[in-house]
Amino acid sequence: MDSGKRATSVDSKGQAPGEANQKISRREFLKRAAVTTATLSMPYFFVRNYALAQQRTLRIITWSHFVPAFDTWFDPFAEKWGESRGVKVTVDHISFADIVPRANAEVAAQSGHDLFFFLSPPSAFEPQVLDLTDINQEAEKRYGPMVPLVRKSVYNPNTKKYFGFSDNWVPDPGDYLKSVWTAVGYPNGPQTWDDLLKAGREIKKRFPEIQIPIGIGFSQDIDSNMATRAILWSFGASIQDKEENVILNSEETIRAVEFGVRLFREVMNPAVLSWNAASNNQALNARQTSYILNSISAYRTAQDNRLPVADDIFFVPALKGPKAQWASEHVMGVWVIWKFARSPDLAKEFLLYLVDNYRLAVIASKLYNFPSFMGSVASKSVPVAEKPAEGRKWIRAAVTKDPFKSNPVDKLKVLADAEQWSTNIGYPGPANPAEGEIFDTFVIPDMFAKAATGRLTPKEAVEEGHRRCKEIFNKWRQRGLVGGGRDRP
Amino acid sequence: MALPEGAQETMTAAPVLRRRTVADREDLLGRILLTPALLYVLLLVGVPFVLAILLSFSRATSGSLAFSWAGLQNFAAVISDPQFRRALQNTVLFTVVSQVLVVVLATSAALVVDALLVGKRVVRFLILLPWAAPVSLAAMAWTWIFDSTFSVVNWTLKVAGLLKGWFYWFGDPTLAMIAIITVHVWRMFPFATVIVLAGRTAIPQDVSEQAMIDGAGFWRKLFQVELPLLLPIVAVAVLFGMVFTSTDLSIVWLLTRGGPYNSTHVLASLAFQRGILGADLGQGAAIALFLLPVLVIVAVAMLRLARRVEVGV
Repeated sequence: MDSGKRATSVDSKGQAPGEANQKISRREFLKRAAVTTATLSMPYFFVRNYALAQQRTLRIITWSHFVPAFDTWFDPFAEKWGESRGVKVTVDHISFADIVPRANAEVAAQSGHDLFFFLSPPSAFEPQVLDLTDINQEAEKRYGPMVPLVRKSVYNPNTKKYFGFSDNWVPDPGDYLKSVWTAVGYPNGPQTWDDLLKAGREIKKRFPEIQIPIGIGFSQDIDSNMATRAILWSFGASIQDKEENVILNSEETIRAVEFGVRLFREVMNPAVLSWNAASNNQALNARQTSYILNSISAYRTAQDNRLPVADDIFFVPALKGPKAQWASEHVMGVWVIWKFARSPDLAKEFLLYLVDNYRLAVIASKLYNFPSFMGSVASKSVPVAEKPAEGRKWIRAAVTKDPFKSNPVDKLKVLADAEQWSTNIGYPGPANPAEGEIFDTFVIPDMFAKAATGRLTPKEAVEEGHRRCKEIFNKWRQRGLVGGGRDRP
Repeated sequence: MALPEGAQETMTAAPVLRRRTVADREDLLGRILLTPALLYVLLLVGVPFVLAILLSFSRATSGSLAFSWAGLQNFAAVISDPQFRRALQNTVLFTVVSQVLVVVLATSAALVVDALLVGKRVVRFLILLPWAAPVSLAAMAWTWIFDSTFSVVNWTLKVAGLLKGWFYWFGDPTLAMIAIITVHVWRMFPFATVIVLAGRTAIPQDVSEQAMIDGAGFWRKLFQVELPLLLPIVAVAVLFGMVFTSTDLSIVWLLTRGGPYNSTHVLASLAFQRGILGADLGQGAAIALFLLPVLVIVAVAMLRLARRVEVGV
């Protein structure tokens, strides 16, 4: 090493002349990094806290609605409400599939939004949410009783607690292609589950270009959960009875599953085992199936995208089975307020305001959302006692004369009676965490799919499903959130 | 050599004038600078890990903060569950098959890229694209490619007259696993290729040249010279890939959500379904932790192997 050269190039600061302007010493670098970090983080600690202290806030999280026009209405609606009360309202939207994971994260962090929206009864979160008896009673005082299936979805009879507040539920009619069904002799679509088999066979013969003549999902998605429950109920079977005892293992269930096997083998194909929530919509709109169980969102999507198929999509009510005629609600909109919410009173106030304006909400959703309090869509001048009946009349009028350019204009008329053939997850009992876990882990579609593919016989599939349901129910009973206990062996 | 007078003064005077601070103490400074990284690992990996262990012995649910001791109940419940056993099988299959494919493809790709005379950089860039693409976007494209009704693979084969029936990719457990492994290999092999490429540059040129002078052909040179020299780095890549693959949730969840009839779950996706969606945190944690001892053994074995090869023992 040439120490002479090195010595001459070092100054009193330990830097080489000429390098001082180009290179930063370690000491200088650390100093600058510390100052920059401190400067940049200042606003986070001071400005944010100052802003929060100055203004009341309400933080809302909800799904990205299947009918996007609803979000376009809802966000400014909430913000305007906030402005009128000096409240800063923020609305966050998430995909429907992210709702439960997000709720888990907020509970774990004990922090998040004041108002949290679920698409199905969030019974498992009951220990972490406020009892909303007060606003449920207040809404009933203003608009009359809530729809019965809604009460079963927000009220836990074991703990006597309203764990949620529902502003809407969504019917789940059958959507069919009129031209196809007319060609096989059913111009008004199917009326019974048996019609699906009979007409499906004809459709298979006469329309070979339709890949899946009948589109009932046996997959791990919400629509399949609804569809398979509808089959069970229509055959007189159910997971639980009114007292929350597990009764899945029954002759009725076996018959329902046997019917599912015939449906799968004769008029469907393995595609229905892999469907996600959008698949049946896509198949119908692409004319790759002739019948699906869904809300009106598939139809609205076809209209929005000006697809010719829109004019060919018609609706039928729940199909009749040997024992009953039931469809599950398609969506059960339930709001909860966390115990750790910062603005619970504002959240309650907003929910009542939302219900006060529910006519606007129904219109904004293009008749997708149905009111949980039928009286909330009645004219303001009608006395409370008459509001539910008036509200039902308004709904009937709206679906009979669809303001969103249906052709014909009364295309949605079957929805007018949807309340009569719709029921809740958990029917004939209430929604509870066990039913929720069975729903979210796809026990029922799994049971149908295993029998349909021959992996298990219908009897074995039912026994396996029953065993899984019992395990789940027992687990939640130990936690005191589910009643019953006299399960079928 | 004698120093100029002024410079000598400067050099001896400087340490006296400057106050010794943290910036001058390398040992202390090193620890301070490492602290954020250690805290990050401790808080975001260590704490959740310990929490997961605790949860697996509890009856915790996602909607409650209550914690009651369940002993080995969750482990007993999941071991007796056929869905869990299927998920365990799938995890092993998914990990082993995809890693074998990744190693073979990455080694082949690295040899091809190295042999290219022009366009090396472009090819490297293209190979890296799948690694850089967000997994959710990639999965959306693959979902369409393998869609049971609209599969572009099926329609192409059909139009070309090469397919008589129909592949229900996500409607059949075997086809669904093939699709899952295909997408995972597509996603992982670019990274492995880069590692192998880097490893090849570290092989001394004279070793390769000597092998050629000694008359070794392509295959002999590959299997008896290059691959043994690449083994330490490939072992690390395989270790990384195995741990990543056996704990990966995203591909399975985005493509099949464990279906059809819960037959394509791996442990991570089943843990998510049971613990987060099904709200049973205890069982979810028990499922998620099940592979931990196996992974620790695999990691130790692979690292030992890599070290042994490296030092030539």
